[in-house]
Formats: sequence, structure tokens, C-alpha cells
Amino acid sequence: MSRRFDIQYVFDFIPKLLAYLNITLLIVGSSIVLGLLIGLIVALPRLYNIPVLKRLSQLYVSFFRGTPILIQLFLVYYGLPEVLGWIHIDVSRLAVLYFVIATYALNSGAFISEMIRASVAAVDRGQIEAAHSIGMSGYQTFTRVIAPQALGISIPLFGNLVIGNLKDTSLAFTLGVMEMTGRSQTLGTATQHFIETYIALSLIYFVISFGLEKGFQWLERYMNRFDGHRSEKAVRAIWRRPLRAVPLLGKGGKNG
Amino acid sequence: MNLDPSFIWTAGLSLLQALPETLWITFVSVAAGLVIGTVVALCRMYRIPVLSQLSAAYVAFVRGTPMLMHLLLIYFGLPVVIDGLSAAMGWSFTSASIPLIGFVWIAFSITAGAYMSEVVRAGIQAVDKGQVEAAQSIGMTTIQTLRRIILPQALSVSLPNLSNSVIGMLHGSTLAYTISVVEINAQAQIVAADNWKYFEAYIAAAILFWVLTILIERISGWLEYRLNAYQRGGTL
Repeated sequence: MSRRFDIQYVFDFIPKLLAYLNITLLIVGSSIVLGLLIGLIVALPRLYNIPVLKRLSQLYVSFFRGTPILIQLFLVYYGLPEVLGWIHIDVSRLAVLYFVIATYALNSGAFISEMIRASVAAVDRGQIEAAHSIGMSGYQTFTRVIAPQALGISIPLFGNLVIGNLKDTSLAFTLGVMEMTGRSQTLGTATQHFIETYIALSLIYFVISFGLEKGFQWLERYMNRFDGHRSEKAVRAIWRRPLRAVPLLGKGGKNG
Repeated sequence: MNLDPSFIWTAGLSLLQALPETLWITFVSVAAGLVIGTVVALCRMYRIPVLSQLSAAYVAFVRGTPMLMHLLLIYFGLPVVIDGLSAAMGWSFTSASIPLIGFVWIAFSITAGAYMSEVVRAGIQAVDKGQVEAAQSIGMTTIQTLRRIILPQALSVSLPNLSNSVIGMLHGSTLAYTISVVEINAQAQIVAADNWKYFEAYIAAAILFWVLTILIERISGWLEYRLNAYQRGGTL
């Protein structure tokens, strides 16, 4: 704060911070993968209405959506060793990074289970009946009819989740993990150029989340390419074609 | 080390002291964010030349960076700007006279503004365009149309999004501890460090936030029911 603002530092800091990008991405990647697993397990009892497990999964989702991630981070860091100590598993020597990943995985799991539920519910009920009527089993209906459509519907939600998770990793420094934000703190302290470090860091976050957003937009269009009214590109392609398909689609997209 | 359930209660009582601070941060950022968000959303929807591009850049930047960055940028950046200005202009006002919570309010209002603008935009766009045309056909001005036709309906549509944003800001207020503002999270750290009972203190903090979140959800659910009263009973 005491020294003058110097834009040169921003450019100097960017490569220094990028060196720690892999830790940030490791946290995002592993917590999303684990979160998908947890989310699926948690969503199933509610999708299939299994008595006691349904309540438990509701409680889990409500807790992780109802408390700040920063509190969850501290709760897991201080609580997990204690809880696992009751069943004689010693994790107190484990690196902090694992606690961070565990927290983000548990947190993402709650949001992902909601995402799965919403996407499955968004698939038209008539389609399930149609699938049953041609003799598909429950498993076949799910894997061949529901899942492919639900996947397409869930992409925008999933994209938001991944971007949110990326931004949340900036909190890992509170437990002393050296990812990009943690590094920016030490850089700031060492050089006393705090604003420049935070500008550099913000730019990096911005570029990554912008890239992710574009990537997920592309993925969404790709996944929904067979679904006329959900894919803008497909609609435009049909409009350009002069014959047949035109009267079926209205301008607004939704049922004409 | 064993879990001390009675300390959860003790810690919880001590956390209640910091509750007003948390609620203040949430309330100010949501209220200011709504004002900023509405202005930004209208600038973008009416495509006002320079302002709409600026608004788009603002929303993209804030939504693309972590909330922590906004707080740190304001905390470290604003004093430089203010002190530079007051030195140049000869003001007596310096950054030292801004209380810490002021930085939190400013930073989180900026954060909330960008998210709120999306909430407002989605809400306004959900109102049928035919209604705007109908209002104008009976001679209402743009302001009248906005105030009497669009906003009341947009509010009821955007209530779920709004309550999500309020919850997001409530949870985000925990970041204020990084610049030494004593809200619930900071208070939990203090209580925990004093008694060397971290797990219990954070359990108490988590429960407090959980209760607050459920409360906000309930209130918004009730409001939604009330606001949609005129739509009930009819077929859609």
C-alpha cells in the first residue's frame, strides 16, 4: 500500500501465479470428479424414493447448501480427524490439500445431486411411458432415454457449478494451501504490491472462467444438437433450409 | 481430544454477538446490489450506447472472478484511489476515515450488483412482451409501464433467484473476516482459539448459518405464495 501503483508488476506476477495454476486445477478437477460420484449416490435414494436414505440425503444436501463453504472448510479440517479418530483412523498427518479436496467434493456433491434430480425431472414424463410401452426395462429406459436427454439439460447447470467451484478454490489459502490465491498473498507480502497481485490474480481467474463458459456453451449446443427447440444453432440451420421443417418451428423457440 | 457438546451451545451464544454484523453485511450488499443491478440491467436491456457495454464488462468481470478478489481489490485499491484524489484535490477526506466494514459493504455491493443484474434481467424478460405493448397501447409511458406492469410481475418471477442471491451473499459475508471484520466466522475463530475447541465452534457456526438459510428460504417461499396469489386458481 505504501508504494506507488506500478502496472509492470501485474505482468511480472501473472507467470509467477500461473506456476500454481496446476494446484488450483487439481482441486477443481478432483473435487468435481468425486462430487459427481457423491452426487449420483445421493440423488438415487431421492429419485427412487427409498424411505430412510431419502431423508438422509435431504439432510446432507440441505446442510451443504445451507452453510457457507468457508465454514465447511474449517469444519472438515478440524472435524474430520476427530470423527475418523472415533473409528481409529488417523488422518491428522495428511496434507491439508486432501482436506480441501474433501470439502469441495462434499460441497459439489450436494449441488450435483440437485442438478441430477432437476435434469432427470426435466425429461418429459411421456417419454418414460413411451419407453415402457415398447417394453424397455427400467434400466434400459434410464440409460437409453432419460440419461442422454438429462445430460444435455444438465450441461449449463454443470458449467455454472464448475466455474463456481473454480472461484471457491480461492478460499483454500485460508488453510494454508499454496494455490494461486495463497501464492498471491505471499507475493503481495514480499513485494508490498498487493493491488498488482490481486489484479493479476483476478485476470487469471477471469480468463479461465470465461474460457470454461465458452467451452460449456459449445458442449451444450453439441449435446442438444438433435433437439431442435433447445439448440439455437439447429434452429438457425433449419431456418436456412427452405423446405418442410420450417412451419414446425416458431420464432421464439418454445412450441411456436 | 474429544467432542464437547456443551461447548457447541456456549460457542453458539457467543456467535450471536456477531450475528448483527453478518446481517448488516448481507442486508447492505443485497439492497445496494439490487439498486446497482436494476440500473445495470436496464442499461443493457434498453441498449444505452456506452453504458450498456460498460455494464456488460462489469457483469462479466465480477461473475468471472471470486468474491474474495472483489473484497481484496477494494480493500487495497480504494485507499490508493481515494488518497491519490484527496492529495491532488486537497480534500481532508482520506481512506483512513473509512471504517473496515465500509470496505466490505462497498466490495460486496459491487459483487451483488452483478449477480442481481442477471436476476433482474431474467425477471423482466420473463414478463410477456404483449403486456408491454398492451400498456403502451393504452398510453402508458415507459416509466409507468416499468413500474406498474413489468416490475410487479418480474418481482414475483425472480423471487426464487433473488432468495438464492440473498443466501449467496449471506454465505459470502464469511469472507469479511479476511480483512478483520468480526462477523460470525471471525467470532467462531476467536471463540475457538480462546478455548482450543475448533470443531465445536465451527459446528455452532454451521448450525447458525444453516438456520438463517432455512429461514430465508421459508420467508421467500411464503412471499412467493403471496405474490403469486392472483395467478392461482386459473389454468395456465
